[in-house]
This record gives sequence, C-alpha cells and structure tokens, in this order.
Amino acid sequence: MIIRGDEPEQVRLIKKLYKPGNYFMQGDEAVSYGAIFAGCRFYAGYPITPASEIAEAMARELPKVSGYYLQMEDEIGSIAAVVGASWTGLKSMTATSGPGFSLMQENLGYAVMTETPLVLVDVQRSGPSTGQATKGAQGDFFQARWGTHGDHPIIAVSPTSGQDAFWETIRAFNIAERLRTPVVILFDGVLAHTREFVRIPDIGEVEITYRKLPKNEEEARLPFGDPHGDGVPPMPLFGHGYFTHVTGSTHKENGLRDVYTPEVHDRLVRRIHRKIEQNRHVYEKYEEHFTEDAEILVVSWGVTARPSLGAVLRAREEGIKAGLFVPKTVHPFPGERMRELGKRVRAILVPEMNLGQMILEVERYVNDDVLLKGVNRIGGVPLTVEEILREIRGVA
Amino acid sequence: MQIRFAGIGGQGVVLAGVVLGEAAAIEGLNVLQTQDYSSASRGGHSIADVIISNEPIYDVMVTRADVLVALHQLGYDTVKESLKEDGLLIVETDLVKPDRPYVGAPFTRIAEGTTGLALTVNMVALGYFVAKTGVVKKESVEEAIRRRVPEGTEEINIKAFRAGFEEGKK
Repeated sequence: MIIRGDEPEQVRLIKKLYKPGNYFMQGDEAVSYGAIFAGCRFYAGYPITPASEIAEAMARELPKVSGYYLQMEDEIGSIAAVVGASWTGLKSMTATSGPGFSLMQENLGYAVMTETPLVLVDVQRSGPSTGQATKGAQGDFFQARWGTHGDHPIIAVSPTSGQDAFWETIRAFNIAERLRTPVVILFDGVLAHTREFVRIPDIGEVEITYRKLPKNEEEARLPFGDPHGDGVPPMPLFGHGYFTHVTGSTHKENGLRDVYTPEVHDRLVRRIHRKIEQNRHVYEKYEEHFTEDAEILVVSWGVTARPSLGAVLRAREEGIKAGLFVPKTVHPFPGERMRELGKRVRAILVPEMNLGQMILEVERYVNDDVLLKGVNRIGGVPLTVEEILREIRGVA
Repeated sequence: MQIRFAGIGGQGVVLAGVVLGEAAAIEGLNVLQTQDYSSASRGGHSIADVIISNEPIYDVMVTRADVLVALHQLGYDTVKESLKEDGLLIVETDLVKPDRPYVGAPFTRIAEGTTGLALTVNMVALGYFVAKTGVVKKESVEEAIRRRVPEGTEEINIKAFRAGFEEGKK
C-alpha cells in the first residue's frame, strides 16, 4: 500500500491534526512539519545532536498520518532504509549531522546512481570530527557537493529561518520527486535549536509533487531511460507488478548491469548530469535585497543570511549602498546570477560560519577587479549584525 | 530586550527561556529563543537566551544582554561578560556570588518552601524576573506554562511562578 500525502484521506487527516496558525517552535520541528505536509511518510534515522529533535518529531507525528518511523542501528543503515522505502513509493527522509553525514555519503551516491528520490537533512555542527557537538556551523558546504565519490550532480537547499525551514523542506521534497534525485537540506545547529514563530498553513496552500510513474509496460521496462526527453525516467515502484532491477553498478536503460562497456557508463552518468542541468528552473532559487544599485554586495547563505540582512539594512541607514544576495538552492550554485551581480559591484563580502567555503563558488563567477573578502567565524557562535556591519563599513 | 538565563543542567534553565519566549509570542511580540549547553546531561553549564522585540530580529544570539538571570555560579561565570554595563543582574543568592551590583533571592529555598520541589526553581526565578522587568504580562506567562510544562504539573509550576513574582514585587 502506498501512502501519498496528497490522497484525499491524508489531506483530511492533516487538516484535522494540524490547525493552521502561528506556533512557537524549533527549526528542527519546522523541518519535521514541513516534511509531513510535503507527504513524507517514512523516516529512518539514528539520533545525533543537533538533529535529534527531527527524529523525535517524526517518531511522534508519522504514526498519526499512517507513516512509518524506523530507528536504525547507524547512519549507514538509516539512509539505506530510506532508499528502499522510496522504491516502494513512500516519500522518505532521514536527518543527521556532521559525522553521521559522513557515514551517509556512500549511500547518498547510491541514491544518485539509482535515481532515488529522498531528502537528507544535514544539521551542520562544528567539526571536523566530533568537534563541538552541540554547536552550529556551516562547514559542510562542500561535503554536500562532493562528499560521495565519482562524478555526480547534487541538489542542496539551505533555509535561513524556522519559517523558511518549513517551506524549504516542502520544496526539497518536490524537487526530489520531480527530478527523481536525492536532495540535501543544509540546515545548521543554530537554527535547528532556535525557537521562533512558524506559521503552519492550511494544507490546501501547499503545492505537492509526486514522482512520475510509468504509464505502460514499455515505460516500466526502461526505469533508467529517458522516454520524455527531460532526463527524468518514470519510476516503476516495487510491488506494482514490474520486474525492476536496481543497482548502484553501472546499468543500462533497462536497469541491468553492464560495468564493462564504456558507452553505457558514459550514457548513464551524462544523462544523470543532464537531468539536473537542463531542469535548473525546477530548483534554482535565490533572494535579493537592494541589489539594483548596490556597490557592496554581501553574499550569504543559511543561518548567516539573517544577520547579513540586518547588517545591510543598517548600512543603508548609514547611506552605504549595500545589497544582499542569498542563494537558497546552494548546489548547483546560481552562478549565472552571481556573474551578473558581480559585474555591477565594487566589493563582495561573504559571511559564513566556516573558514571560507561558499566564497570559492562566488570566486568562480566574479572578475579579479572586484574586491572579494570572506567574513568567517568558527567556534560555534553565529556572526552578528554588528560584526558584518563593521566589515561593510571597512570596504565602503 | 535581550535576556539570558544561566545555570547548570537540571535547573530547568532552558524551560524558563522557552516559557518566556512562548509568553512573548502569545502577546504577538517578535521573539527568538535559543539555548546553549555542554554535552554533559547534568551538571554542565546551561544557558537560555530570549530576544523580545517590536522590530524584526536579525541576530540569532544574545549579543549584549539587558538582563542576566543567574541560577548557578558556573552558568554565571560562563556568560557574565555578556551583560551590559547598565544591565540588570538577577541571581539565586544562595548559589551565586556576583562581582557586581545585583538583585535576587534564594530562589531554590523559595521553590522548596512553596512546592516542596527544588526543581521548580526555574519558575520562581522566572516569576521574579517578570515582576522586576514587566517585559511580558503575568497572565501570558501562566498561559505559556500551561502549554509548555509536562501534563499534570501545570498548577505546581504556576504556584512556583507566582511565589517568585510576589518576591519580585517586594
């Protein structure tokens, strides 16, 4: 039995259980309610600070909506279970942090190769290794991009507040379903544990996507082909009467292994890349504030985007022409927009809770004559409005 | 207003912050609440931050506290530098020996005397804080307590909160 979040009975259940309104909740809870609203009905995970509240909330809420919560023996098993559940038709998710995210990398690659829709929440904490386990950070920017081996595309989104976490989680599920691909949510330990107002909407306000299913036997026989030219093959679900072979080894359009023919590997891996590249409109998202006439551009993401906005507003009050660019989908990076903005400004500041990660993406798209400077903080404490403002003044 | 509660694990510091945050949310104010604790489950420092404002809040941490409520020396020593020079320091007078002007009372003894439970010290301190600052209404806090404390313990927590409030009004 598949349980889709958009079935009428499920919609009625959600309406009954979750009254629209403002709730004072943690970022981790906002992610969890976002997942439930997006139609997530399977969660497997292993608790880890600061992601444990997601596991707690999913364990509490999923049974109420006929969903499944599975506590696994570790993170490797967690994402493996999520991949399996997704092939039965359940929208599936796991959440972890730092060391757990490292353990999930192998099977994240398996999900990319088998084109399995799933959502993986990485609540970034201060590393490397066990680091400062209870503190937030933004140090996994490139682990999300290149943590698993081999040539692979990845999509990662990064929320900037509790409210944003609710909506971005829904968006992550929609992207995963639409493009039959894993999506990473790069959340962080600061927002995860921050309580603020989150408006829970009526389920009717939420747009939900479900994966393409094969229309006929012929489509079902090519679960890794491209019958519609959009790079996204329909997904024949387990238990629907099809013979489907799913493997992380190189496979032909029909799913059968062929690890020797160079053309087969080339065709498969290039199509998986093309699927992401040609569907940029599905996932590209960024926010801009005062970029029309900005001379100094702040580029920031996740939790740091918020004090960055506070600093830009203060700078404007002081007559400094500052602007803010916030990639919401951080992978693939919105490079073209970055390039356009980079041509118009004199200086770019990149505040982030790491020693300089997203700045390397920014650097790829701006010319040498623009002053590019990181504003970096590690140690588990977020950057403040005052600190970022001081840097803006410094280049004004 | 930036408010910081500081104590040790087991004193209910985070719950005090959550209840205050919820009370501000009930009144429609902008509010942001965070916490910081050590990896030890008991005995390490425990900090709860609450920012309450009529304006949008852009900082995600307390930068300079207007009020510091210290329930234990360890918590106090961890964050005392963050209190503004003209900020208000409220302390548990049996457990904290401050090195600057303060107000306060033996909150743990008041808790024991009122409810028989030392662990209601957080609500006593919260009551005292609300009486001293008036940042939120007493009624909003009582509603927040009903929403946030474990079922069946609402009345005992409210009793402790009121005892702290009365002490703060003295």
